[in-house]
Amino acid sequence: MNKKLFALLSVIMIASMALAACGGQKTEVPAATDEPTTAPTDAPTAEPTAPPTAEPTPIPDVPIATYDGTSLSVAECGNGYTGFIKSVVAQDANTVVFTLCKSDPAFLSKIAFSPFSIYPQEWIESTAGDETRTSEGLEHPVGTGPYMVSEWKRGESVTFTANPDYWGEAPAAETLVFRWSSESAARLLELQAGTIDGFDNPGPDDFATIQADSTLQLSLRPALNVFYIGMTNTFAPFDNVKVRQAIAQGIDRQRIVDTFYPVGSEVASHFTPCSIPNACDGDAWYDFDPAAAKALLAEAGFPDGFATKLYFRDVVRGYLPQVSSVAQDIQSQLKENLNIDAEIVVMESGAFIEESGAGRLDGLYLLGWGADYPHITNFLDYHFGQATQQFGAIPAAIYEPIALGATIADPAEAAPVYTEANNAIRELVPMIPIAHGGSAVAYRADVVNPQASPLTSESFFATDPGGRDVFVWMQNAEPISMFCADETDGESLRACEQVTEALYSYEINGTATHPALAESCTPNEDLTVWTCALRQGVTFHDGSTFDAADVVATFNMGLNIGSPFHVGNTNLWEYYDYLWGLMKKPGG
Amino acid sequence: MDQENKLQTLDAEGLSLKSVSLWQVTWRRLFRRRSAVIGMVILGVMVLIALTAQWIAPYDPLKVLIGVEDVKRREPPCIHLLGCPADKPQHIAGIDGNVRDEFSRLLYGTRLSLMVGFSTVTFAIIIGTVLGALSGYFGGWIDNIIMRTMDVLLAFPSLLLAIAIVTVLGPGLINALLAIGIVSIPSYARVVRASVLSVREMDYVSATRALGGSNMQILFRRILPNALTPLIVQGTLGIATAILDAAALSFLGLGAQPPTPEWGSMLGSERNQVFTAPHLVFLPGFAIMLTVLAFNLLGDGLRDALDPRLAHVS
Repeated sequence: MNKKLFALLSVIMIASMALAACGGQKTEVPAATDEPTTAPTDAPTAEPTAPPTAEPTPIPDVPIATYDGTSLSVAECGNGYTGFIKSVVAQDANTVVFTLCKSDPAFLSKIAFSPFSIYPQEWIESTAGDETRTSEGLEHPVGTGPYMVSEWKRGESVTFTANPDYWGEAPAAETLVFRWSSESAARLLELQAGTIDGFDNPGPDDFATIQADSTLQLSLRPALNVFYIGMTNTFAPFDNVKVRQAIAQGIDRQRIVDTFYPVGSEVASHFTPCSIPNACDGDAWYDFDPAAAKALLAEAGFPDGFATKLYFRDVVRGYLPQVSSVAQDIQSQLKENLNIDAEIVVMESGAFIEESGAGRLDGLYLLGWGADYPHITNFLDYHFGQATQQFGAIPAAIYEPIALGATIADPAEAAPVYTEANNAIRELVPMIPIAHGGSAVAYRADVVNPQASPLTSESFFATDPGGRDVFVWMQNAEPISMFCADETDGESLRACEQVTEALYSYEINGTATHPALAESCTPNEDLTVWTCALRQGVTFHDGSTFDAADVVATFNMGLNIGSPFHVGNTNLWEYYDYLWGLMKKPGG
Repeated sequence: MDQENKLQTLDAEGLSLKSVSLWQVTWRRLFRRRSAVIGMVILGVMVLIALTAQWIAPYDPLKVLIGVEDVKRREPPCIHLLGCPADKPQHIAGIDGNVRDEFSRLLYGTRLSLMVGFSTVTFAIIIGTVLGALSGYFGGWIDNIIMRTMDVLLAFPSLLLAIAIVTVLGPGLINALLAIGIVSIPSYARVVRASVLSVREMDYVSATRALGGSNMQILFRRILPNALTPLIVQGTLGIATAILDAAALSFLGLGAQPPTPEWGSMLGSERNQVFTAPHLVFLPGFAIMLTVLAFNLLGDGLRDALDPRLAHVS
């Protein structure tokens, strides 16, 4: 009897352990999804209690595109379809014509962006799984770039080998290795020890050390980014514009930049860095005025402040080099200036991006943006377009001028529109821009042509690691996946950029575009039809020949929500959605 | 007859003169051990600091000094006695990454660390004692269930298990304490069970049972007090482990959340400054080391002092 009972218990215990092991999918997420009552103040809940407006009943969108292998098109622009692209047609094997719904002055800058890299048609079809790309599709992209992925040791490194058939200049190093470490001190130690050839984002305190060391060199990266404090206006009390304005005036941004940012950084006068045309049209951001801020908060009904949370992910980015310190300073400023008790909540990076992007964070959050392509649309349209959810509901006063501005080519002509947009952002405060952060890249002294791209898209085929065969690069984090058509993470994009190419590309260490897989893309007069002559004789890593059908197939995969190949990693297709607009109409 | 009585009285008096309680013996032995005394002195100072932190700390540990004083971020220590210019404000342990006085934070950290140590160990001892006592006293299937569960808990590395628990509960000091408390239960349960197993067979326990004492009475009034000795030793050493584990969890960002002045989290947030601002890394580390060392010294001393086999040594 005793033995039987013991055996039964053992079986139950083993079964429950097996269940527990199989049931937990994500071990890294600190979000307490099941027990919010035991720790109400300690964990970000995955399903915050939101007012009814935050969770509308989802009505599935309707696909509207037709695709036949050489042509991807929608029947008409407007009528519920808000996207830019009317059709992508392969006129012949080497010519692709993009017909747009509205003129797009930033077409070349956008088309050069790495999520729009071209994949071979067969590969697109063969790696499309039921829900996501197959692991082959997520980890071993096939492109036309200077390097090919040879091995991805998860958690350790990605190894690339030179593409022997590359159409352009042959890579300087036969092998390229990507490694990562979240600790800037550890990255510096590796460089000093000579185990890596270059690394991204040295800690601001280490700039002087690197510059003083004759065996190392430092390349400063221009501040083409923005760090902001976000809030979601569907959650109280951030639904009250006065609360948002109060916080905007109650934070001493100069103090944050002076104390925590390296040389080359500046306080953000507008959301977009001023080196981009039209970025700084309109009034500059509020001055720091704690008395006015406190009065505004009292007017909003919170004379004694309130309690909230301050979410962030503990990862270093160029726009936020010392995230924990900055978070603590903002926490102390909120307390000191506005009597707002902000509890710090550190989230896992992927979960943080997902939750903030979907507008599910019920407090303040620290996030930023690095330019993907040097145009104001890359900043404003992505963050304040009508479809954006991360700040809650974007008011029409903001998204309407932004949508209009995106169709005007001449910066002078667009100035009044962007003045209106920037002033509306300042007035309605969907977020608080804090800083444009300068950052740097450190290399060993013998590395030739060191890169520090303002777009953080370093192309390592052009950098010679002092004659060595292997170039080892260390960045902040591991790529999330290498299917970059459906990624937004900069660390992932950089890895993809070694392997895949788009029709255009950005110049090394700069933002100007020049032809890549297209030899030219020429617009018609009103910038609505762009005809791209493709480069001939280019082959993909799998040996197939690059032609116009691959371009159409790639855009079909990214834009056509009705296509069976429209499967990615997160399936959000954020860049396709924000920069071109997915080919769909609202359902219902 | 008178003579006999007198002898008995003398014997009785002689006995009572010689008899000293176990605790007196223990104290005496403890004080003879230099390492234990050092441990006690350090701990005494720590407790004093913890109790008086708000009076002896020169600054509010959360106060950001930007605009208040002319100090720079991560400035090294400035001690007037050691030649720091008198016109500069004195900061014995320097300035931290958020421009706060590191020394005040270290002092307040003492309070937190001791609190962590005592509360987790108290929690673990209470639960562990109850489980171990029930297990040892009743035996059978109760023993099997409890001790096998304890074995399962012991099979995981304690810090990993604590990390897993905190991941489920969410990061925060209270959850970290709970996690550390839970993972240290098995060691106390085992110690108590072993003691109870040996004590319950003793004659005086049988005597109580024969007199009609209830199970609870026997367990809590006869057996447990006599099984206490190893628990004290284990508890003292356990405090050191608990402080270390809490610091480790905070270092990993799972324990105390900023801006709480907790040593592990102070160390963790400045870990990249080991070459540029070493004082911010080494001072909290040194504080953790000192406290853990003190508890270990005291624990070792107590173990020796309470061990009857070592009685002849004293």
